[in-house]
Amino acid sequence: MKAGRWLGVALLAVASAARADDATQKLLDCMRSNVPPSLQIKDVELTSTDRNGAERLLKGKVYASRADGLIRLLLRISRPRDLDGASYLMREGGADRKDEIFLYLPAIQRVRKISGASSDGSLLGTDFSYNDMKQLQAAFGDSRPVLEKPTTIGNRPVEVLRLQPAAGAAARYSRVLAYVDRQSCTALKAEFFEGKTLRKELTAPIDGLKRADGYWYLSELLMRDLKENTRTRLKVTGVIGSSDQLPSKLFDPTSFYRGS
Amino acid sequence: MNTVAWLGVVARRPRTVLTAVAVLTVVALLLCVNPLTREVRFHVDPSAEALLPAHDPGRAVLEQVRKTFGIDDPLIIAVRFEPTVYSADNLARIAKLADAFKQLPGVTEVHSLASAPNIKARDDEIDVTTFAEQAAADPSAVAHFAADIEANPLYRSTLVSRDDTTAAFALTVAELSPKDYLRQDFDRRVRAAVDEAGGATAVHLTGTLPVRAATSEALDRTLKRTVPAVFAVIAVLLLATFRSVVAAASALLSVAIALVWTVASAVLLDIQFNLVSAIVPPLVITIGLSYTIHLLAAHFLSRSLLPNARDSQRAEWVMRRISTGLSLSATTTVIGFLSLLLNPLPAVRGFALLATLGTLYVGALTHLFLPALLIALRCTRETPPIATRLFGRFAAVLAVFDLRYRRAIITAAAALIIVGFAAATRIRGGADFIASFGENVTERRDFEAIASAFNGANFVTVLIDARSPDALTQPRLIDAIDRFQDWLRAQPEVGSAVSYVDQLKLTHLALNNNDPLHFAVPNDDAAVKQVLLFASGDALNRLIDPQYRSAVISVRINVDGSQAIGDFLTRAEARAAELPAPLEARFTGSSVLATRAVEALAGGHLASIAIAVVAIAALLSLMFTSVKAGLVATVPNLVPIAVYFGTLGVLNIPLNPTTSLIACIVLGIAVNDTVHFLARFNADAREQGKEAGAVRSALTTVLRPITLATVCLCLGFLVFAASELNNLVQFGLLGAWTLFVAWIADMTLTPALGSRLRIVTLWDLLRLDLGRSPQHTIPLLSGLSMRQARLFALMSRLEKHPVGTRIIQEGDLSRDIYVVIDGSVEATVERHDERRVLSTMTRGAVMGEAGYFGQRRTASVDTTSPVRLLRFNSQDLERLRERYPSIAATVFRNLNRIQAERIARMTALIK
Repeated sequence: MKAGRWLGVALLAVASAARADDATQKLLDCMRSNVPPSLQIKDVELTSTDRNGAERLLKGKVYASRADGLIRLLLRISRPRDLDGASYLMREGGADRKDEIFLYLPAIQRVRKISGASSDGSLLGTDFSYNDMKQLQAAFGDSRPVLEKPTTIGNRPVEVLRLQPAAGAAARYSRVLAYVDRQSCTALKAEFFEGKTLRKELTAPIDGLKRADGYWYLSELLMRDLKENTRTRLKVTGVIGSSDQLPSKLFDPTSFYRGS
Repeated sequence: MNTVAWLGVVARRPRTVLTAVAVLTVVALLLCVNPLTREVRFHVDPSAEALLPAHDPGRAVLEQVRKTFGIDDPLIIAVRFEPTVYSADNLARIAKLADAFKQLPGVTEVHSLASAPNIKARDDEIDVTTFAEQAAADPSAVAHFAADIEANPLYRSTLVSRDDTTAAFALTVAELSPKDYLRQDFDRRVRAAVDEAGGATAVHLTGTLPVRAATSEALDRTLKRTVPAVFAVIAVLLLATFRSVVAAASALLSVAIALVWTVASAVLLDIQFNLVSAIVPPLVITIGLSYTIHLLAAHFLSRSLLPNARDSQRAEWVMRRISTGLSLSATTTVIGFLSLLLNPLPAVRGFALLATLGTLYVGALTHLFLPALLIALRCTRETPPIATRLFGRFAAVLAVFDLRYRRAIITAAAALIIVGFAAATRIRGGADFIASFGENVTERRDFEAIASAFNGANFVTVLIDARSPDALTQPRLIDAIDRFQDWLRAQPEVGSAVSYVDQLKLTHLALNNNDPLHFAVPNDDAAVKQVLLFASGDALNRLIDPQYRSAVISVRINVDGSQAIGDFLTRAEARAAELPAPLEARFTGSSVLATRAVEALAGGHLASIAIAVVAIAALLSLMFTSVKAGLVATVPNLVPIAVYFGTLGVLNIPLNPTTSLIACIVLGIAVNDTVHFLARFNADAREQGKEAGAVRSALTTVLRPITLATVCLCLGFLVFAASELNNLVQFGLLGAWTLFVAWIADMTLTPALGSRLRIVTLWDLLRLDLGRSPQHTIPLLSGLSMRQARLFALMSRLEKHPVGTRIIQEGDLSRDIYVVIDGSVEATVERHDERRVLSTMTRGAVMGEAGYFGQRRTASVDTTSPVRLLRFNSQDLERLRERYPSIAATVFRNLNRIQAERIARMTALIK
C-alpha cells in the first residue's frame, strides 16, 4: 500500500457512508477509484522530530487491505531493535460495529485490545495519533463532506473538501479540510482544526505523487503538530505494490503479531 | 567658564531655558505615548522572571522545560460540587466545562476528569476512555471513581480534592500576557461558564497568569493612585508653606516634567516597570518636591533680601545659594541609587539607573528651570514664610540641647548603631508571594482555597537530565528517580509529585491485567521503551521527552513565600544531589525563580549599602576637603540605617525586593540634610568665627526647610501605605520611619559632631578669590600650592572692610593676625594727640602678629581703601595643625620668617 493511498483509503472508506451532492460524490468516486481493492505497503520509515529538533526513527512495514469497504491496517515495527515486533492493528468496524485496535508488545507477550483510546494517544510515539487515524474516519463517517471553493497547490488545481463532525459527535477536530488533487484524486494536504485553531497539518510534496499499477499514491507525507511544534515524516522506502491476496492472519487479532 | 558664571548666563536667559525644557518635554511625551494610538509605550511586567537576569540559569532551565515539554505553570480552575464531584450529572458538567474552557482565549489544553483516561484492564482488553466518557456510558461506574483516583498517583489530589467536593481543571494557556488576560476578561468568562454549566457552589482560579494579572492591575492602580496622591499631598504642603499658588504649581510642574523625562528614559533604555522599578515615579516626585522646597525658600528669601534687584539678578542669587546644597544632595542621592548597580538583578539595576536619571532630572530642573519659570510667571508676591518664629525658637532650643548634651548625643547614637546592627542579625530574607495581596483580595482567597482543597497551589518543576538518549529507560535510573519522587512526596511541603515513572508503572499495570505485582518498573530497557511507546502521547510528552533523555517531576507544594520555598528547595536540592550519575536534577518554575530573585536581592543589598556608605563618605571627604569632615558627615547617616535594619530585625520583617532597597534610598536622601546643615554651619562659623553661635544660626536657617522637606518625603513614602500590595505598604511605612530617624539624627547628632569642626567645601575652595598667585605675592602663603593657600584661607576668615574702618586698636588685647589680600591699610600710633603714620601696607602684608604672642596691640590699623583681609588666630592655627599639618608647618615657618625679618629690620633701625 502506498502512503498516499493510506490516506485515500481512509477518506474513501468513510466517504461511502456520507451523503454528498453530485459534485462531491463525483470527487469521492474519483478518489475511490484510486484505491485498489487490496493493498500492501512495505518498508516505511516514520521519522519523528521533537521540539528540540531531535529525531527518532521507526522502521517497519505497513500492511493494509480493504474488505467489504472496511479498512484493515497493520503496522509492524522492525527498528529500533528493542521495539522489533511491536505491532498495531486497526480494524474498521463500519456502521454496526466500533473500530477495533489491537496492540502487541513483545515485552508483554500478549495481545491487548485497546478500546476508547484517549484523544492524545499517538500512534507509537509519532504525530500520527490513534485518534488521527480514527478521526479521519470518524469525521467522514459522522459528517457531511462539502466541497468548498477550489484552489491550487503548486500550480496544481485542487478541490477543497470540508468535513465537519455532526453536532454532538465526540470528534477531536472541529473541522478537517482536505485538498484533493483534481488530476490524481489524492489529497495533497489536510488541515485539522481544534476550534478555530489549526492544530495539525498533513502535507505531501507534489513530486512525491507517483503512480504504480495504474494507481496514484504519495510516497511521502509530513504530519506537523503546530501546537506541539513536532513533526513526523512518513516515507515509503519500498513498495511491494498491490496484491489481490494478503495473508488473512495479518489482520487477525490472534495472529497479526506473528508476521507475514 | 566657572559654575557661577554659567549660572549667571542661564539666569539671564529664562526664556531660552523654558523653551528648551518645553521642547524636550514634548519629545519625551511623544516617547511615552503614541500620539496616533494614544497607547503608552512603557510596559509593566509583574513577573518574578522580570527581576532575574536574562541569562539566569534558573530562567534557562525554565526555558528548557517549556521548550522540551511544552509545559508551564498551569492555570488551575477549581469548581466545587456539593456534596461530591462523583455523580454522572457532575461528570457531564465537568465535560461541558472542559469544552467551554477550551474555547477560552489562549487555552491550548485542558486537563480534567473529562480528558484524563481512567485505564481499566479487563481480560485482554484495555479501556482507555476518560472518567467523563465512562460516566456517560455507565452512570454506575461513577461509584468506583473515588477509589480509582485514590489508587492513581497521577490523579490523586490533582483532579479531585481530597474531600471529593472539588474538581480541578489544569489549563495550559499559551502566549497570553497578563494584560491580555485582563483585556479578554478571562476570569469573568470562566465564572460565567461555570454558572452556565450549573451545579457548582463555588469556583476558584489561580496560577501564575491570574496572579501576575492581579499584580499587574495592582501595580497599575498603585501607580495611578500614588502619583497623583503624592502630587496632591505635597501640593497642599507647598501651598501651606509658601502660600503661593504660582509657586506651588511651578514646583509641581517642574517635578511633573522630570517624571515625564524619567518615563521617556525608561522607554528609550527599554527598562520595564516591574515590582521594583514601579517605585521610581513616586520616588522621583518625592525627591523632586523636597528639592523644590529648598529652592522656593531661597526664592522668597531673595525677595526680602534683594528687594530692588532685577529678576535675573535674583534668579542668579537663588541659583547660587542652592547650588552647593542641591548639587551635593543630588550627588549623594545618586550615589545611593548607583550603589544598587552592584546588585545582580537587572530589575534592581534598572531601578537604580532610572532613579538616578530621575534624580538628575529633578535636580537640573529645580536648579535651572524652576527659577526661570518663577520669573516668567511673575511669582513676586511677598509671602512671609510660615512658622519661621516657631522654627527659630525650636532651633535655639535645639542648638543649646545639641551643644550641652553633645557627649550624650554621640554616645546614644553610637549605642543605637550598635544595637541596631545587632538586632539586624535576626533579619531573614524572604518575600511573600500570594500573601503580598490583602486577605480579602479575590486572587489570594482563590489561591488559598485551592491550596487548601488540593494540598498546595504552587508548582515546582524538577528537570531530570540524563544527557544521553534512551538513558531514562534504564530501570536502574528509573528506580532512582522513583525513590527521589517518594522522598519528595514524604516532605511536608509536598502535596503531590508526578513523573513519567507513574505513567510507566500505571501503563505496565494495565498491560498486565491490573495485576498489582506489575505496578512496577519493567525489568529491562526494551520493555520500558515498549510500554512508554504504547503510553506515548501529549500527556506523556509533558513528562518525558521523546528521546528519553530528560524528564520532569511536577511537584505541587503547599507552602508560599520565598523563605518556605527556599527551605524546601535547599533540602530537595541536597537530596537530588544524591541521584546516581548521569542523572542531574534542576529545579525551576515561577515560584522557584521568584525565590531565587529574592535570595539574590538579599545577597546583593549588603554590598550595595557598604558601597553607598563608602562612596558617600568619599564624596563628602572630597566636598569638605577632609577625610575627617567626610566621616563626621557620614556617621549621622549610619544611625537611620542601623535603626532601619534593627527595626526589621525586631519586628521580624523579612528583606524582600522592595524592603532591601530602602536603606540605599534613604541613605542617599538623608545625606542631603547633613550636607545642608554642614554647608550652612561652615559658612556661619567662618562668618562669625564661633562654632557655638554657628550651630544655632545654621539650625535656625536649615531646620525649617529640612523639616519641611522631610515631612514632604515622609508623606510621599506614606502614600505607598495605601497600596493593595503589602510589600509596597511595607516600603512606604519603613521608608517614612527611616527618614524620620534620619531627620532626628541630622538635627541632633550632626550639630553635635560638627560643632567642633571647621569645614571647607570644595565649592568654597573653587570660588575663593585670593588674587593672582597668592603663594608668590603673599609671604605668609609662600611655599603653598594654590589649593593649600585657599584651604588655609578658608580655615581662617576672609573679611571685607570699607575704607576708613579700624581693624586694630592700639593697646587692645587681641590674638588675631591679619593678612592684606586686596586694598591698603595704614598703621598709626597716637602720641600726645598726634597721629603718626608708621607704615602703609598693601597686598601680602601681615599685621597683628604681636598680639598672637600675647602682647597688646602696639599700633592701630585703619583701611585707606576697601580691603579684603585674611584673619586668623591661634585656634585657627591649631585647627589647621590638626587637620592640615603640612599647611600649618609651612604657615608657621612663614610666620617665623616674617617675624625674623621684622626683628632684623627693627634691629637694623635701632642700630
